[in-house]
This record gives sequence, structure tokens and C-alpha cells, in this order.
Amino acid sequence: MQLRHAHTLAQARTYVAALADEASNDDASSAYEHVLIELDRLHCDQSPDVYLDALTQDRTIQFDLATAAIEYLKQYGVDPLSVELVLWMLQDAYTQDCG
Amino acid sequence: MYGETGAAVREAFAELLRQHRVQQRLGGTADERAAFAKQIRAYRQSVLTWCSQAMAAVSPLTFSNQAPTRANPFRDVATSGHVTSPAGALARAINRAKTESTVPAASIEQLTTLAGTVSVELWRTAAKAAALAEHDTAPEVAQTMTVPQAQAVIADVAAITQALVVLDQRYRHTPGWEQLAQVGRLGWAALAAALDANLGQPDYTVDTLGWRPRVKPIAGPAKPGILGGRQAEHNLLVRMKTIPNATNLRLVIDSQRLLSRHLVPYADRVDQRLADRWAQRADTYVELQRQFRRIRGLTGHGAPAAAEGANAVSRLRALPATTIVEPRVLGGFQMLFDRLDHRIADIVEHGIATRDLVQRVRLPRLDSSSGDLVAPVRERCKPIEPATNPEFVDLLRRRLRPHPRAQVETPGPSRAGLHAALIHRPPGPGFGAAPGL
Repeated sequence: MQLRHAHTLAQARTYVAALADEASNDDASSAYEHVLIELDRLHCDQSPDVYLDALTQDRTIQFDLATAAIEYLKQYGVDPLSVELVLWMLQDAYTQDCG
Repeated sequence: MYGETGAAVREAFAELLRQHRVQQRLGGTADERAAFAKQIRAYRQSVLTWCSQAMAAVSPLTFSNQAPTRANPFRDVATSGHVTSPAGALARAINRAKTESTVPAASIEQLTTLAGTVSVELWRTAAKAAALAEHDTAPEVAQTMTVPQAQAVIADVAAITQALVVLDQRYRHTPGWEQLAQVGRLGWAALAAALDANLGQPDYTVDTLGWRPRVKPIAGPAKPGILGGRQAEHNLLVRMKTIPNATNLRLVIDSQRLLSRHLVPYADRVDQRLADRWAQRADTYVELQRQFRRIRGLTGHGAPAAAEGANAVSRLRALPATTIVEPRVLGGFQMLFDRLDHRIADIVEHGIATRDLVQRVRLPRLDSSSGDLVAPVRERCKPIEPATNPEFVDLLRRRLRPHPRAQVETPGPSRAGLHAALIHRPPGPGFGAAPGL
């Protein structure tokens, strides 16, 4: 894994983890955790650790940044269909969280 | 398990001791009674064989409770203790009775074929249970026993021997009956061993030792209602026998968090303390889940375990909110939770120790150079050191792993029943409770 790829993945993990920590209920938090697990599974569990702090506390921005970072993973050779599935999982979790 | 097989032996003997007028109960002609007597002696021989083997197995742990006359620390206490103790005397008396009997122990056909009368059937039940108890008091089980647990076994053997002596007297007029060798000595040795064992404090947790059937997954379609959730949780526990990889372990952890949280409202209506405990368990798993984001695994499997965890959650989600769950079912969940928490804690601690679980490395925010002429090789992971991760270790050892609760084992109804039957007197004229003139 190249360093830029690792940075993008770490960023995606950081924002999804931040969303999971502040989720409104356990089901939504669990759904975000499943997104994290799926991201790690796609990278054969070689992902770097999350950053210490997210750059923003706004949940909408966190969701947008996580979505952008996950989408950007396609640029580094990650299977596009798997990325779309992860994005759908993230959207589903966000709907459970804010719906 | 010794608790089950030992109780079966005692219950059969307690019932036999409550039966009087044995000739009438055996019925039939003298020849038929002689055939029954031979059969009963074979069953008695099976019980004596178990008594002898149990005493031999616990012999290294038998110390007399009497104060020694002269303390000599250079004497071989274990050997001399067994030889001179009442338990040793009882073991010798039982061996003599066993070897001097002219009838062999009951064959497998005799043990598995229904007997003709109720009395003989009770003897068969006792012999069958004694044969099964053999692997519960085997030497390899006795190696794990404590001295108080061995005393409980000695007290049990002594009570059964006393029952054999009483029954020997009662059956002595049966045609073809053969009395136990030195029956008087056997009775007194049993009494002395029972008294000596009870001078100490027998530990009845011995009932939990012995052979147990292998736990298997509950196969077949999902059971209706909450039982389906419990079925999946049981299967998850069985599947966790194999060590899962980090990804599947995270899925299992997630399932336990959701399961505990969703069970809280059902437990709240029946048992408030259990509801609080499960809410706390859910919080523990939330924290464990957070910690596991920075942990990855190198080996393992565990896909069936993750699938069973998902089954448990989905079945519980499908349960109507108005369902009232029996306390017994909730207790079953609690038992499974305790065992699963232990197992998960074991797996994680084992993973840390063997470095199958390692910690992810955080990347620097800015990709600046290290300042060296040659850039250092980046590490992808590092071992989880307990010294540098005190929060994680504390979470595993203090919060996740259930605290051992003091297990208080009572003698149980079968022991009390046998002792009551040994001294009972049949109702009727001349046998009243009050002493007659």
C-alpha cells in the first residue's frame, strides 16, 4: 500500500470512527462499525490506525469527508464495486443515525 | 458428572432401604428368588467395584482428621495416612468383600436389560449408575481434586457401604444369598470413615467434576421466539472453540454489544439487576469495539462464529417488544454470556501473548521527511505491550472477564435422602417414632 493510499484510508477510517462514536443509537453505531470492518477487510486488515482527532465535529461534514475519502480509494486500485457497496453501507448507517 | 451419577446411586439405595419384607417383594418360588438373589449379588458386586476404585483413586488425598500421636515430618505422610486412616481401613474392607464374593460383576447385558421386579430394577439402577460413575472418580479426575473434595467422595462411599451392609442383613434369608465377607467389620469401617470425613469439612463441589458430554451446536431450523436467539448464542459459544481472526472477532464483539443492549428492555420487566448488568456489558463491548479498531490479527478463522452472532441479533430484533421472557430463559442467556466473555477474554489475551493480535501504527498527518538522509522503514504494526496499554488490559481483565463468584455447593437432597433412609424405621406397631416400653 502506497503512503497516499494509506493516508486516504486512514482519513476514511477516522471519520467513520468519529461517526460511530457519536451515533444517536447502538444500531447506527454498529452499522458504522460494519463499514469500518468492511474497509479493513477490503485491505486485508492492513489498514493504518485512525488519526487522534477528526478535523471537524460537524456530523454532516464528517459524513461528506468519509464518503469522499472512500470514493477516492478507487484511484488506488481498490475494486470499484466493493467501494460502492461500502458507500451504500455508509449511507444506510447515516440514514439510521439521522433518520 | 459425579453429581449426577453419585446421586443416581444414592437415590436407588435410599429407595431400596425404604423397602422391607424383601421376600414378599421378590415374590415367586424359592428357585425364582434364588435367581433374583444371584442377579442382585452381581449388581452388588458392580457397586462394590466402583466403591473400591473410587477409594483407590482418592487414596493419595486421604489424611486422617485425628491428631497424630507423634508428629514426624520425615515420615511419608500420604502413604502412612492412607494406611492408618479410617478411609484406608474402609478401602481394605471393601476390597476384601469384593474379592471374596463368588459372583462376578454384572455383565453389560444384565446392566442394560430390564429386571423382573421393582427391587431388582432398583439394584440394576444402582449398578448402572455405579458403572457410569467410574469415569467420574477415575484417577485422572482425582488428580484435580482437593482434600475436602476427596473427603466428600469418602463420605459418599461410606454411606453407600453402610447401605450395602443394612441390605445384606435384610436379604440374608433369601435363597442363594451370600453375605458380604466380614460384614460387621465392613459396617464399622464405613461408620468410622464417615465420621472421620465429617470431622473435616467435605467440599461438595466435587459434584461438578467428572465426565461431561461434549457440547455440540444445536442443529436444525431456528427455534421460535427468544429461544432462537438463545440457540444462536449457544452455537456461537460452541463455534468460538476455534480462534477467530481479528475481523471476525470484531463482528462477534459487535453482535454481543447489540444482543446485550436489545435484551435490556426484556430483562428490565423481570429482573432489574440483570438488566443493569447487561447494560453494563453492552458498554464494555462498546469500549472493546473501539479498542479493536486499532488492532489487527494475523491468523484465525471464525466465520461460523460471526454468522451465529449475526443470527442471534437478527432473531432478537424480530422479537415483538411486548414479549415477556421467563426468568429461566434470561438465566440461560446470562450463563452463555459469562462463558462467552471468558472465552473472548482468553482469546484476546492469548492473541496478545503470541502476537497474533498486533497494534496498527498511526500515520503522521503531514508527510514531512524524517530529517534523516535515509528515510526510516515505516512499520505497519507493532506488538500490543500490556505495559503501554493499561486501559486495554484493564478492560479485558476487570470489565470483560466475569468475576468469579463464590460457589457454595450443598450436600444435595440425594445425600440427605440416603442418610435418612439408613436410619428410618417402617411405620407400624412396634415401630413407632416414640420409644416403646
